[in-house]
Amino acid sequence: MTDLKHHTQAGAGSLEGRIFRPSSSAETAEAVELAFDYRGDVTLDLTSGETLTGYVFNRDHAAAEPWIEVLIPAADPDSRRIAYREILSIGFTGVDTANGKSWETWVSKKESDRLAEAARVEADARTRGHL
Amino acid sequence: MAVPLSQMYTVASYVLTQKFKGVKRYPLVLMLEPLFRCNLACAGCGKIQYPDHVLDKRLTPEQCWAAAQECGAPIVSIPGGEPLIHPEMAKIVKGLVAQKRYVYLCTNAILLERKLDEYQASKYLTFSIHMDGLKDEHDLAVCRDGVYEVAVRAIREALKRGHRVTTNTTLFDDANPERVRAFFDEMMALGVEGMMISPGYSYQKAPDQQHFLKREKTRELFSKILRKPKRGWQFNQSPLFLDFLMGRRDYQCTPWGNPTYNVFGWQKPCYLLQEGYAKTFRELIETTRWHDYGTTKNEKCADCMVHCGYEASAVEDTFGSLSGFARTAKLTLLPTSR
Repeated sequence: MTDLKHHTQAGAGSLEGRIFRPSSSAETAEAVELAFDYRGDVTLDLTSGETLTGYVFNRDHAAAEPWIEVLIPAADPDSRRIAYREILSIGFTGVDTANGKSWETWVSKKESDRLAEAARVEADARTRGHL
Repeated sequence: MAVPLSQMYTVASYVLTQKFKGVKRYPLVLMLEPLFRCNLACAGCGKIQYPDHVLDKRLTPEQCWAAAQECGAPIVSIPGGEPLIHPEMAKIVKGLVAQKRYVYLCTNAILLERKLDEYQASKYLTFSIHMDGLKDEHDLAVCRDGVYEVAVRAIREALKRGHRVTTNTTLFDDANPERVRAFFDEMMALGVEGMMISPGYSYQKAPDQQHFLKREKTRELFSKILRKPKRGWQFNQSPLFLDFLMGRRDYQCTPWGNPTYNVFGWQKPCYLLQEGYAKTFRELIETTRWHDYGTTKNEKCADCMVHCGYEASAVEDTFGSLSGFARTAKLTLLPTSR
C-alpha cells in the first residue's frame, strides 16, 4: 500500500505521522489493524469525500461487511461505524500516546529526565484538579 | 481469615449454582473501568495511553449498575484509570453495594483521605490500595516520590473509619523476594485485611523457549516470596492461585472469569488484551473466539500468569476437583502449611 511517510518527531517504530492509502481490500484490512493497535487518533478520508478524525477502538474484519468503529471527539453520537470499503486513506495524525512509555524506557532515562517527566505529569494532574 | 465468611459463602453458592445449572462460562469478577484517566503515569502501564478525548470519557452510574446486573458476577473490581477521579464514584459504589455485589475499589489512594467522607463502611465495600512494594520500590513504580507515604496515611484513616482495606501488588521478575516479604510484614502491621499479588503482564514476541523461561522465572520468584509464609500474612485471593504462581498447580486461563466493561463496551477477550468490543455481555460470551486464547494458543498469552486470567481457574479447581477443594480448605485453615 502507499505509505506517504509524513514522519514527525515520534520515536522509531511509531506510526505517528504516516498516511496509508490502501489499494486493495487486503491492504485496507492491514491498515485497519495498524489503526486499531494505534494509541492515538487517526484521520480517515472516505469515499463520500468526508474526512473524520477519531480513535479506532473496534473492528470486525470477519463480518460479511467488514467495519471499524471510531470514537469521535465532541460528536453525538460519539461513535460511528464505517465499512472498510468506504475508507480511502488512514492517517496516523494524532500523537502516539504509547510511544516511549515502556518500563524499560523509564528506567533507562537519566534521573534528571525522570524527575522532569514526573513533575510534568504531576503538574498536569494538578491542573485538571485530580490531585 | 483474609476473606470474610459471608463473602466466601456468596462466592461458593454462586459458583455451585452455575455448575448446577450447567453454565459452561460464567463470570466471577466484573472488571469495571469507569474511566481511563489517572493522576499518576506509571511507566509500563498499558491502561492510560489514550488521546485526551478518550481519557475524558466516563461511564455513568447507570451504565455501571446495568453492566453489573447484566453480567451477574458476585464481585465487582473497579480499576481504571484512577476511579476516585470519577466525580460520581461514590454513587456508583453505593448502587453496586445496593445490588449486594462485593466491590473492590482499586485506588492509588492519592485522593482517598479527601474522599473518604463520601463512602459508608460496608462488608460489601473494600478499598484495594495499589502498593507495589516498600517505599523505594513503590515510588519508583508509580514514577512519583511521596506516593507511598500518602497511601499509608490513607490506609490508616480508612481502617480507622471501619472500612475493609486490602492492598494490590504487581510484581515483576526483577523484584527482590526479601524486600517483598518485608513489604508483606509492613502491610499486615498496618492492619489491612489481606493482600493481593500478581505478576505483571508484558507483551512478548520472543520465541517459545524464551516464553517458557519467563514463566519459569515467575514461578521461581513467587516460590521464593511465598515459601514458609509468616503466620500473620493474609492474602485476599484464592490459595490455589498462589500455588499456581509458585508452580505447584498448572492451569489454563479462564478469560471469561473476569470480564471487562469500560467506555468502549465489553472487552474481548480479557482485561489485558483488547481484540475488540461487544455491545452486550451476552454478545461477549457468544462471539469471542475463546479457543484462540491461552498460554499455548496465543503468543500474547504465552507469559501471562496474571490474576485476571487464572484466579477464576483456581476457583474452578476448588469447586471442580476433590484435590482442589481439599487443598483450598487446608490452606485456608492453615495458611502457614504451604
